[in-house]
Amino acid sequence: MTAALTPDTQPVASSSTQRQPLYEASTQYRHWRFSPEQLVHMRSTLNVDAVSAIRDAFEADSLGSSSSVSFLSAEEEHLLVKLYVGKIAQLCGHFRFPEEVEATAATYMKRFYLKNTVMDWHPKNVMLTALFLATKTTNHPIALESYASHIPKTSPSDVLDLEFLVAQSLGFDFAVWHPHKALWGIWLDVQTLPDVSIEELSKAYETAHGHVRAARLTDAEFIYTPSQIALACFSLASPTLATAWARAKFPSSPHPPALEFLEPIKEIILRDGSPPDVEAVREVDRRLRLCKNPEKIPGTNAYIKKQQEKDRQAEEKRLRKAEAARIAMEEGDPFGSELAKKAAEDLDDDDDDD
Amino acid sequence: MDAVERANLERQRRWTKDQKIGEGTYAVVYRGRELATGRKVAIKKIKVGQFKDGLDMSAIREVKFLRELKHQNVIELLDVFSSKKNLNLVLEFLDTDLELVIKDRSLVFLPADIKSWMAMTFRGLEFCHRNFILHRDLKPNNLLIASDGQLKIADFGLARDFADPGYKMTCQVITRWYRPAELLWGCRYYSTAVDIWSVGCIFAELMLRTPYLPGETDMDQLKTIFRALGTPTEEDWPGHTKLPDYVPVGQFPKTPLRDLFTAASADCLNLLSKCLIYDPKRRISAKDALNHPYFFALPYPSHPSKLPKPAKKESGIPLEEVDGNTDMSGPGPGVKANPPNKLKRKNSDDLGGRPVARRLDFTK
Repeated sequence: MTAALTPDTQPVASSSTQRQPLYEASTQYRHWRFSPEQLVHMRSTLNVDAVSAIRDAFEADSLGSSSSVSFLSAEEEHLLVKLYVGKIAQLCGHFRFPEEVEATAATYMKRFYLKNTVMDWHPKNVMLTALFLATKTTNHPIALESYASHIPKTSPSDVLDLEFLVAQSLGFDFAVWHPHKALWGIWLDVQTLPDVSIEELSKAYETAHGHVRAARLTDAEFIYTPSQIALACFSLASPTLATAWARAKFPSSPHPPALEFLEPIKEIILRDGSPPDVEAVREVDRRLRLCKNPEKIPGTNAYIKKQQEKDRQAEEKRLRKAEAARIAMEEGDPFGSELAKKAAEDLDDDDDDD
Repeated sequence: MDAVERANLERQRRWTKDQKIGEGTYAVVYRGRELATGRKVAIKKIKVGQFKDGLDMSAIREVKFLRELKHQNVIELLDVFSSKKNLNLVLEFLDTDLELVIKDRSLVFLPADIKSWMAMTFRGLEFCHRNFILHRDLKPNNLLIASDGQLKIADFGLARDFADPGYKMTCQVITRWYRPAELLWGCRYYSTAVDIWSVGCIFAELMLRTPYLPGETDMDQLKTIFRALGTPTEEDWPGHTKLPDYVPVGQFPKTPLRDLFTAASADCLNLLSKCLIYDPKRRISAKDALNHPYFFALPYPSHPSKLPKPAKKESGIPLEEVDGNTDMSGPGPGVKANPPNKLKRKNSDDLGGRPVARRLDFTK
């Protein structure tokens, strides 16, 4: 629960005598940790690539049509995602889902948009899918029918259509560690310290919990470990108790290392931890309607072209497969000869039995 | 193409499927290879489209936990990729499982062999538990054996994280013969001890070479357990009569394990009895089991490579086909499917009788 309170600045020394901390074996640590600079870079690259791809799609739809479109910037995309991350909390309140579900869905959303652009996939749809997926991955499954029926203007297929894409974008890393769990651990720990008033502690815990919820809207989880974020939140609520906890955890060091890097985390939470201005987002969403990738909107020329290309490829593959089978038959060898094998080589045999 | 799709395609291209080797209710298993290295793998293709609630829970659990767990005694998930509406799990290829080993009457188990399998099982399980994961379906059939003899815990389709205190869990888990009494009586708050009971049953099965507690129904399972180990008293297991589905199933006397396991050492029976303690709180943990004197006493556990193993199916291939340039580690049917080679082999066989290594002859 209180894993890895050492700063991330040092490379992982994997000496054979020292056992690797559990947290460092997690996919969260291995695949989803970035520096603030990396995050900025990833998002801006993603945005640039998306804009250029969508521009092409517009041109394919009708020539010269992209010049009048005002595409979203990386910051604007991020703003929109943040708004919908915030909406997850409302939805979870409505369904009375446990906090585990809410926190996991928020993480899925944020991870999804490190790999995808809102101009391809609208955050509202992704949010519904991410939340549904999170109910399953955290072992609180709910029937799709009943899930969709509780959300206005949503059919089961709206939720399911994106499920595969979301799972894929997450790299199938479903397990997520959350600060609220670590905070619970601190709350239990602090109760065992001498001279702690339980009222004071309860109040601090409640306040800290609010900060943990705020942290969900920020990039903190991509940069720091859950236990670091939890301690920062606790320290925002009560610096005295946080220091007391750290001293008890590291009795031998006068300046517990756990306290050293709390300031930047607190700063992130205070700076980015509130929901975005609705008016600003509304403006972004209005523009998004005009710069959505036409390849993803059924009915447009670009969409139809893309589908036709897909069908053509599938047909080609079928033909090559049939050809391979024919060669094999002609050679009288039911297992296929070298030649037939060659013809079949880069076909995956995936559709053999579906 | 989206970056995500592209990354998926790249992953997909690393692997190739050779042959279907099994079909379950929700998945088809293929034997396959890593293209770059030729390494043998198993590819479990899970059909997703057919479920009305989308990705199926067992598939999700399996992927979720195996993505996190890397240990010598837990099956390794090498990769995950999707193709159309299918989810493909690339797993390390494992030759056999403990159930097949137990059932193979031609194999003789030494006490050191059983100790080795138990050590590997406890090591794998301790790692799961250390990672806050309950397996909830341990049985010989889910303990797979690699070609080097290493035992690997597999099938995480029923696994889950430890629940928060006070959070209810389902008691409909673990295959009946390996299910502890607390679950049969409907206990909704449980922990790692349920897996330990299963390991105890497997331990006994390794010695008996037949399932230890084979109940026919859930009710009969309780009777079977109590017939073997005696009905628990309030002192054995405080509070058990308050469990949600508690029903008395008759009084059976305690018989010493020694009566049934006549050849086992005292250490061995001591560890077995600690795995089969009724009170979940008093049942031994995986970590303590690993430190039990049983594992430090003679005979030491057999080296995995020396453990008894069922004869490989491939060994059914006649000697003549083994001779020469055939690759036994490669896909078997591929060898058969090559007519020219086969002809050559016949010829050389006519000449010699007992096959000898062919040499290239440059004189002709």
